[in-house]
Amino acid sequence: MCFVSEGLENLDIIRLRLHTVVEKLSGNPIYLILPLILYMSFFYVYPLVRMLGMSLFSPQFTLQYYREFIETGIYLQSLYITLKISTLVTILCLLIGYPLAYYLSGLPPHKANVLLTFVLVPLWTSILVRTYAWIMILGRNGILNQTFMKLGLIDEPVMVIYNIVGVCIGMTHVMMPFMVLSLYSVMTGIDRDLLKAAQNLGARPLETFRRIFLPLSMPGIFAGSVLVFIISVGFFVTPALLGGRKDVMISMIIEQAVSVFLDWGFACATAFILLFLILAIFLISGKMIGFEKLWGRRA
Amino acid sequence: MKRYEKRMIVAVFVIGLVFGLAQGLVVPVRAAEQIVVCNWGGRDSDLEKEAFYDPFEKDTGIKVIITSPPLVGKIKAQIDSGNIEWDLILTDIPSIMTLTEEGKVYLEEIDYSQIDAKLLAQIIPETKRKYSIAGRIYSFNICYNTKTLKKLPKTYADFWDAKNFPGARSLNNSLGGIFPQLEAALMADGVPMNKLYPLDVERAWKSMDRVKPIITKWYKSHGEVVQMLVKGEVDMAVTIGPMVISEKWLGAPVAAGFVEQKLAADNWCILKGTKNKANAYKLMHYVLDAKRQGKFSSEAPYGPSNMEASKYIDPKLAVDINTAPENYKTSYWQDVKWWAEVGSDGKSHRERSIERMNKWLMQ
Repeated sequence: MCFVSEGLENLDIIRLRLHTVVEKLSGNPIYLILPLILYMSFFYVYPLVRMLGMSLFSPQFTLQYYREFIETGIYLQSLYITLKISTLVTILCLLIGYPLAYYLSGLPPHKANVLLTFVLVPLWTSILVRTYAWIMILGRNGILNQTFMKLGLIDEPVMVIYNIVGVCIGMTHVMMPFMVLSLYSVMTGIDRDLLKAAQNLGARPLETFRRIFLPLSMPGIFAGSVLVFIISVGFFVTPALLGGRKDVMISMIIEQAVSVFLDWGFACATAFILLFLILAIFLISGKMIGFEKLWGRRA
Repeated sequence: MKRYEKRMIVAVFVIGLVFGLAQGLVVPVRAAEQIVVCNWGGRDSDLEKEAFYDPFEKDTGIKVIITSPPLVGKIKAQIDSGNIEWDLILTDIPSIMTLTEEGKVYLEEIDYSQIDAKLLAQIIPETKRKYSIAGRIYSFNICYNTKTLKKLPKTYADFWDAKNFPGARSLNNSLGGIFPQLEAALMADGVPMNKLYPLDVERAWKSMDRVKPIITKWYKSHGEVVQMLVKGEVDMAVTIGPMVISEKWLGAPVAAGFVEQKLAADNWCILKGTKNKANAYKLMHYVLDAKRQGKFSSEAPYGPSNMEASKYIDPKLAVDINTAPENYKTSYWQDVKWWAEVGSDGKSHRERSIERMNKWLMQ
């Protein structure tokens, strides 16, 4: 690029042109999100479309992969197990995370920050390390069983691992920070004066919680649950190491199709079936609870 | 804004744009004198480096870059996209089958004229195949923890017998692509070792039904189950014997039996379309060399693929190696040809067995 330096007139024209361009750009907000749109289109939408193509063309148009998924019994079974485990983990995270977030949101900021760090630290540890730690604790020869046996409470090791129990414990531990943070961020925004006002008007503590606090925390519950559920559905390492022979998550099926059978068409079809299922669950559950309530706006 | 400030902003944008575009246009340049090897990583990789790659680098000046593991998916992605990163891979028969029989061929045919004839004559004959040549022999053995297990199982009939040989057991599942242990099931059912192939598949699965309830954990990868054996999470397992003996040599209370052991080869293959073929064949002369293989097997208890290598192994250590004469007597070679045989449904025995095991495990 060369800088035109001959004649003041040319410079003025350029300056004027630059002015109009900048004004046009800052006038319409679409230009501000254009970079993000380009990025998402190239790195997200385009690969997704290609994957859809791989699942439907081999190279002629075919529904064989989708048919194979639905007709072979084990894939639907695996989908069911995936949804079952994800739902269990979400409920467990909610049951344990909600009281924790409630307590944290009532603390002054400096105390809350310290305790929040403890909630977040597991997120920064490798998931493989965390899963192996659970094997050391829950295993047949692990700390739990060895302690109970030495205390004489049990004769045989308790099987809380290599089955759905172990998977749920491990996954809940991993997913907890997501749930706690989602709930915490919404709960700190709830005006505590509203609770005081309700009690002033004669409501008992339980009623205050049920009719004031709980509905106001709904956006957090929904956000946290959706986050935990969607991540759990794609989980891979923890169920493989801690689960039994029947605890086959759909992600493991996809991985087998990719690495062992090199059947990428089937893998993509499975991935898209999963995607549409999750979208359907999201839309249906949102519709049932009412989207306005979830976003926190007044109904 | 002053004139020069505007010019600066424009200049920064333009430089940024040009720089960004240039990054995308630059083709990744590889130093001419290097070779990329992909193996199974871990301690074995360090020992390989000592025995083969470091001497190779010292003698030829060609740098050896090690990476792992030889994931089939990654190889497919590399070759399909034309961006081949690896040259030589060390991998097992299941992976080679996937890479050569699922439609497209992702490996180069081995050009045996490029390897010294005298060296070739020393390599175990059955392991010199179209797309691969064996680097070492691994085996599937009955492995156990000697501390937690009182009564040690000797044969697969023992492994199948939970009453007389109590203990937590582990077998491989189908998710990782490891062969279902149909041979073991048949031997447990009474089929003599030398009459295994062609496998009576229905009889094998009936036998597997008997062992299904007594398995505590179905493992996906060998690394996983070897650690479980070491920690006593399971008392016995059918897995790669050399990996367990490796732990034994490091002091863990584990051991492997060599009766009814299944032998198979870890093979060297060249990725299709790599531009580094010449260096690959040069490195092959090092990894196939008898003395170097002897040194490697003295640290990592795999059987050498070079039949002359046993001369260079300490006899005290040799008893733990799967191809030692005593152990070889009670072994059989996995019949790779039978497993690769494609049936009328267009699937190989391997594919069909893995799919069947998928279903079988879920019931």
